[in-house]
Amino acid sequence: MRFVVLGLVLLALSAGAQPILIGFQGPLTGPWAVEGDWALKSVQIAVELVNARGGILGRPIQLVVEDDNGTPKGGTLAAQKLIAAGVKFVVGTYGSMVCMPSSELYEEEGVLHINYGCTRVDLSARGFKYYFRTSGRDDSQARFFVEYVIPLFGAKRIAVMHDNTAYALGVAEDVLRFMKPLLDEGKVELVYYDAIMPGERDYTPALTALRDANPDIWYYTGYYPEWALLLRQGKDLGLDWKKIKAVGSNACPISETVKIAGLDAVVGAMITQEPLPAFLVEKYPLAKEFVTAYEAKYGPIHDSPWATYAADAIFTLYFAIEATQSFDPAVVADYLRSGVVVGEGITGPLSFSPEGDRLGVPYMLLICNEAGETELFDPAVHGRLVGM
Amino acid sequence: MNPLKKWRELRTWAPLRLAFLALFLAFLVSFPFWGSRYWVDVGFYVGLYALLGLGLNVILGEVGLFNLGHAAFWAIGAYATAILNARFGLPTLALLPVSALVAAGCAWIISSPIIHLRGDYLCIVTIALGEIVRLVLINNPGGLTGGPNGVVGIDRPVFLGHVIRTPMDFYFLVWALVALCAFGLRQLQRSRIGRAWNYIREDEIAAEAMGVDVRALKLLAFVLGAALAGIAGNIFAAKMRMVSPDSFTFLESCLMFCIVLLGGMGSIPGTILGAALVVLFPEILRPVAQYRLLFFGLALAATMYFRPGGLWPRRRAVEFLREAKS
Repeated sequence: MRFVVLGLVLLALSAGAQPILIGFQGPLTGPWAVEGDWALKSVQIAVELVNARGGILGRPIQLVVEDDNGTPKGGTLAAQKLIAAGVKFVVGTYGSMVCMPSSELYEEEGVLHINYGCTRVDLSARGFKYYFRTSGRDDSQARFFVEYVIPLFGAKRIAVMHDNTAYALGVAEDVLRFMKPLLDEGKVELVYYDAIMPGERDYTPALTALRDANPDIWYYTGYYPEWALLLRQGKDLGLDWKKIKAVGSNACPISETVKIAGLDAVVGAMITQEPLPAFLVEKYPLAKEFVTAYEAKYGPIHDSPWATYAADAIFTLYFAIEATQSFDPAVVADYLRSGVVVGEGITGPLSFSPEGDRLGVPYMLLICNEAGETELFDPAVHGRLVGM
Repeated sequence: MNPLKKWRELRTWAPLRLAFLALFLAFLVSFPFWGSRYWVDVGFYVGLYALLGLGLNVILGEVGLFNLGHAAFWAIGAYATAILNARFGLPTLALLPVSALVAAGCAWIISSPIIHLRGDYLCIVTIALGEIVRLVLINNPGGLTGGPNGVVGIDRPVFLGHVIRTPMDFYFLVWALVALCAFGLRQLQRSRIGRAWNYIREDEIAAEAMGVDVRALKLLAFVLGAALAGIAGNIFAAKMRMVSPDSFTFLESCLMFCIVLLGGMGSIPGTILGAALVVLFPEILRPVAQYRLLFFGLALAATMYFRPGGLWPRRRAVEFLREAKS
C-alpha cells in the first residue's frame, strides 16, 4: 500500500513537472542528411541521459525537432517554426551558411542558440548575445598546432606546406598568424613555407627542398592523396620521421594514407584531428556514458565530431540552467559568456568566450602506430616512434 | 459582334472571375495580420517562388524552351545585389532593377549562342549552365564571390525610410512585385509578342515561315525570364542577408520547372498555384521528418498523373471563340 501511495506521489510529481522545450535544428534531409541524422540521434541520447538524471531543475527535456534541409532558406523556416513552437533554447545546425540567417532570427527573438557544426570564424563576430558554439572554428586546428604540438616536441625549426586549395591555404595562413608572436620573439624559425601542386605524381623536388631546410617539424595542411605520396617519396628519399616530425591536417585520415603509402612510410606520422567519440571515451566519463548509451540504442558510434558537439550543446544547457537556477535565456546567456567552465561534457570542459566561441576547443594529435592503427598520441607510448 | 471582342469581354468581366480575384487579394493582404510569423514566412517563400516561376513560365510556358538552369539567373541576381551592397555599399532596394538588368544581360550573353538549340539539347545545355554558374561562384573569381563561404553582411532594404525587416515586410514586398509582374505578363500574353511566343511553341517552322522573328523573340523570353529571376535574387539576398552557392543548386532549377509544369504551361494563376504547392508541400509534410522529400516527390508525381496538363491550365482563346460561334 505504501508503495502504491509512493508511486502515486511520484506520478503526480512527474506529471506536475512541465517539460522544458529544447529545439533541434539540423539537416535531416538534403546533402548533409547523414550528419543531421547522427546529430539528432546524439542529441536524443543526451536528452535521455539528462532526463534519467531527473531532467533540468526537475523538468524533463522535450525535444522539438525541425529539419532545415541543409539550405539557408530551410534554416529560416525551421527557425521560425521553432520560435512559433515557443522554444527558448535551440541546438543547431550544421553548415555555417545555413546557420547564419537562422541565428539572426534566434537573436531577434531572444532564443539561446547553441551551434554545433559551423566553423566559420566571423559567425561569432556579429556581436550577438544569444549565439554560442560547442564546436571549434576554422582556425582552431592551426591554433592547436601552434599552441600544443610545437611546444610538445620543443620544435624550433618549423616547416609548413600546403597545396593552395582554399582549405589548406586557410589553415597554413592561420598557422602563420598564431605563430607570429613566437617568430617575432625568435623562439621558432619558419624554415620552409611553400605550396605543392595537388594531383601530381612526383613530389621529390619539394621534398628535397624540405630536407635541405632541415626542419624539426613539418606540418602539411592539405589532403590525404598528396600526403600519402609525400610520406612515401620522403621515406624513399631517406627522410626520417623521427628527425622530422611529420604532421598532417584533419583531411589526412591515417587509415586512407596507409592504404596508399604503405605502412612503413606512415608509421610515426601524426595528424591533428577534431575529437572523435572513439578517442574521447578514454578521457571523459561522460563520453563513456554517452557512447555506451548510443551504441546500446543505435549500434556502432558514428565518427563525426559534429554530432558529438551537438550532444554537448544539450549538456551545456543542462549545466548552465542548473547552475543559474533559471530558465531565462538572457540569464543563461550571461552566465555562459562569463567564461566559467560550466561542466565537463563529452568533449571535455565546456566554457565559452564573451563572443560565444568554445574555449579550449579540444583538438587531438593522433599517430599511426606500428600496426597501422590510429591512436591518440601519448609521449610515453609513442615517444620512441617519433624519437622523443 | 466580333467574336474575339466578345471573348475578351467574357473573359475580363466575368463576375465570378472578378469575385474570385477579389477574394484571393483580400486573403493575400489580410493574411499577415492573422497568420503566425512562421506562416507569413512560408507565404513569403510562396511569393518568391511565384516570382521565379513566373520568370521561367515566360521561357518554358510561353515559348516552350526547356530551361533547366533557371537557378543560375536567380544566383546572378542575388550575387549582383550582394556584391554591390556588401562590397560597394549601394542601397539594397535600389539594386533591385540593377539585379534584374545584370541577370538579363547575363542571360542575353549566355543564351545568344545556344538559342537555336531545340528541346532536350537546349535542356542539357541549360543544366550545364546552371552548374557552371554555381561552380564559378564557388571558385571565387577575382575574390568577389567569396567562394563556398559566399558574401555576407547585406544591408536590410529601406523603403521610404521604413526598414524592411520583419517577415510581414518581406511578405508585402515580394507579393507587391508578384502582383506587378503578373499584371505585366498578363498584358504581354495578350500582345503581339505573347501570341508570337505561343506560335513558336506550337510550331516553330510555321512561325518562322509567317515572318515571326523566332530568334529575337526567344532571346526576349530568356532575357525577360532572367530579369524576373534577378528580381527574386535581390529579394532573396536581402531577406537572407547573405548569399552562398549552396542556395542555387540544380534542385532549385528542378523545383522551378515543377512549378511551371504543375501549374500549367503558360498560365499565370497556375504558376502562382504551382509555387504555393512546391513551397507548402514540404512544410505540411514536416511531421514525417526525414521522409518529407520522399512524400513531396510522390505528391508531385500524383499531381502530374491526375492532372497532366497542370492544375490550372491556361484556357486558350480558340476554345472561347468556338463557344462564342456556336
